[in-house]
Amino acid sequence: MTSPVKDSLEHQLKALLPRGRVLTSAAQLAGYGADGLGYKNHLPDAVVIPADAEELAGFMQGARALGVPVVMRGAGTSLSGGPVAAQGGVIVHTSALKKIREINTEGFWCEVECGVGLNDLDAALKPHGVFYPPDPSSGPVCTLGGNVASNAGGAHCFRYGVTSNYVLGVEAIMLDGSVHRFGGPAGGRGPWREDWKRFMIGSEGTLAAFTRFWLRLLPLPEKVWTFRATYPDMKTTEAAIHALVAHSSYPAAIEMLDPRGVAMVESSQMACGLPEGSFMLLVEIDGPEALVNARVESVAEILRHAGSQDVMFSDEDALRQKLWKARKASGGLLGQLSPSYVVQDAVIPKRALAEVLQLVYDEADAANIRAVNVFHAGDGNLHPNFLFDSRVPGELEKVEFISKRLMQRVIDVGGTLSGEHGIGNDKSAYMPLVFGPDSMRLQLAVPATFNPAHQMNPLKVFDNRHFIA
Amino acid sequence: MSTKAMPPDYFSNCTHCGFCLAVCPTYKLTGDENNSPRGRLRLWSEEAAGRLPQDEWTDFYTAECVGCLACETACPAAVPYGQIFEHIRHEHVVSHRFKPKLALRLAAVAVKRPVLFNLALLPARLLRRVGLSMHRFLFPGRPAAVKSTAAYAEELMHRHRPTGPRVAFLTGCLMEAMFREINFATVRVLIENNVQVIIPEGQGCCGAFQEHTGLDGVEALREQNRQAFGPLDVDAVVSNSSGCGYALGKTLQPGKPVRDVLGFLGDLGPVRRQRGRDDGTRVYVDLPCHLVHGQKAAGIPANVLDATGYRWELAPKAKDCCGSGGVYNIQKPENARQILADKSAFLNEAEGAPVILGTSNHVCMMQWHSAGATGLVTRPYEVRHIIQLLDPGEKFSIPSTSLQP
Repeated sequence: MTSPVKDSLEHQLKALLPRGRVLTSAAQLAGYGADGLGYKNHLPDAVVIPADAEELAGFMQGARALGVPVVMRGAGTSLSGGPVAAQGGVIVHTSALKKIREINTEGFWCEVECGVGLNDLDAALKPHGVFYPPDPSSGPVCTLGGNVASNAGGAHCFRYGVTSNYVLGVEAIMLDGSVHRFGGPAGGRGPWREDWKRFMIGSEGTLAAFTRFWLRLLPLPEKVWTFRATYPDMKTTEAAIHALVAHSSYPAAIEMLDPRGVAMVESSQMACGLPEGSFMLLVEIDGPEALVNARVESVAEILRHAGSQDVMFSDEDALRQKLWKARKASGGLLGQLSPSYVVQDAVIPKRALAEVLQLVYDEADAANIRAVNVFHAGDGNLHPNFLFDSRVPGELEKVEFISKRLMQRVIDVGGTLSGEHGIGNDKSAYMPLVFGPDSMRLQLAVPATFNPAHQMNPLKVFDNRHFIA
Repeated sequence: MSTKAMPPDYFSNCTHCGFCLAVCPTYKLTGDENNSPRGRLRLWSEEAAGRLPQDEWTDFYTAECVGCLACETACPAAVPYGQIFEHIRHEHVVSHRFKPKLALRLAAVAVKRPVLFNLALLPARLLRRVGLSMHRFLFPGRPAAVKSTAAYAEELMHRHRPTGPRVAFLTGCLMEAMFREINFATVRVLIENNVQVIIPEGQGCCGAFQEHTGLDGVEALREQNRQAFGPLDVDAVVSNSSGCGYALGKTLQPGKPVRDVLGFLGDLGPVRRQRGRDDGTRVYVDLPCHLVHGQKAAGIPANVLDATGYRWELAPKAKDCCGSGGVYNIQKPENARQILADKSAFLNEAEGAPVILGTSNHVCMMQWHSAGATGLVTRPYEVRHIIQLLDPGEKFSIPSTSLQP
């Protein structure tokens, strides 16, 4: 299996990473073929695991001369084919860069390396009475590098906002070896005339390698109440969502599971006693204790008034965690139902929720594909999961067909592509549906500026972003 | 049976979500995804599907797995990782892709012959008894050299005549041959709590040793235990080692309930020990992987820990592996030591005088003892089985309240 080209690549990589690891055997590459979309496989030519930030910087100095694509990867939990080697090349796994370098409780910021795990950061912040709000469901494992690269969201972003609201600064290394700081602990533009860190956030590894971030923190809320309410149909559920969004209690999170999602939770180890056939809303309010306590009854009343006869709420951590665990593990729970799944990530105006969900059910039923909806209802951020078996010929094609019809409807109702998962290579085919030719040209000009040969993460975001050596 | 003969759905639950990465000791150690459950499953399934030829790196990453099963707890898709791993490891041994160390191969033969095994370890028991055991894994204790746990239990049953629930007790191989004092304490605690203890004669090794090493002979041992425990009229089969209990559970359940002895006592509400008011002892409780991730117990019941009479708290990262992993600390000593270094660091600063590290698996106890013996922990501490902290000692009687029906 050796070839002179590959031997030479291995040789060069070992010279660039004297302390880190260089993986080139077939069985070492196999583990890096996929991200959270397990059924899609793209084998890299090599994987490197830099020992620390200095070694990553050294690697980037010599990476352009390698003449192969360079793909950054954190924990590989992306759901859109972001950190995979779609055009081959070298995957740079940042698993060793996990230092939390500073927690500044006076300035409410922290400085972290790109490989720090999201929940590890939470755990480190908690004793200081501060937190970092974005909370994608992959929190137990995902890294901040991946969060920044995909501008991750999460359940609590309904009130708190997504990653870009909390990134004060990004340190990035270009393929010419130059190191740049966009912003810093004080946020803002840093030494740039405009706020260029916004280019970095959500760039999905197409511009540069990130080494560290300065992140904005908030004081931990004094009190949290979690509500769950079940509804007989989508109409009443939607009424509850609209009423919650409009109410001054301003929930931190408004999440929804459809009856198929409820059934999935209830037949698993995460079961929490949800009635069969119901739509479930999971709602949370937080803030100063007296204020939040005073709002509990009014939120419960909104949930009841919309048509729920089954409203429960609690401020007990164990109970709250159980509900959230069931919600956040739902991606993995799908594995108990089906060998493969694709999750879509569209944002729509909330008034169109029922209409678009009905389309999902109709199209999926017509194609004999199972669909499960578990999503951020408050934001109108849909995540229909289409279940299929990638080993059965034709199933993936059916899912792709439904997905395309869905995206068209999303655009027709005034929605857009990708709330938080990024585009990767799984959603790039939908880009021309959303953006016209001029807009595509201008957006493509950004990576072309930072990374002219498209050597960083080619074939991502834009289908035609090839690296040409 | 080869990988190719495995049912194709074996791997199919894995959606590649990656939740297992964060809890995997070897992924945390190396940062290499191949060295994680998700990575290993990918290597095995690619090989089974014929897309990846046999590769020495697949063998390497397979051998690296501690088998702690933390990934099973973390996995939302309920991938039966332990079952798959056990199957693959056995297959790697059979096809000479992996060779367990000589000492382990010899031990695997020995545990199948308990009489010989007990005899062979007599000198070791004697050395422990007189406090001369110097090996890094041998924590201090005073095991009976000759009298067996079965004989001891019979004696105590006769003397105290408990009237409560009936349990059959798995005395284990290494536990009986080397750490017999823990078995004796277990018998005393059970009987003090009015539990009738039966030790079936024909019992054999639970099979965990074979499962950990991938060596042949598991099925014969399982059959032996089915015959020894199956016909007994008991309320539960109990074990004082979470690893052995987990392995025996796989053999006997669902027909017979197999319980960890501490969980069983928790349901009864055990007799409480009294300690001095100014006792400065602090117990740090570590939860064995095969208790919480294998047997899927929530932990060691709080009423049991309270009944020790000591101030206790969970050790930091109590549900993470200590690196013992059955025989992992012998097969992969360097990894095991690094895992332990991280786990045990807190002991250097831990409050309490004396400090006790309490757990419920003798193999974990050996690993924890080695932290002091090899200099990872520089302050004095003791390693004890929680059952030993409940031990009434030789002179005890069953409280009259327990004897009432």
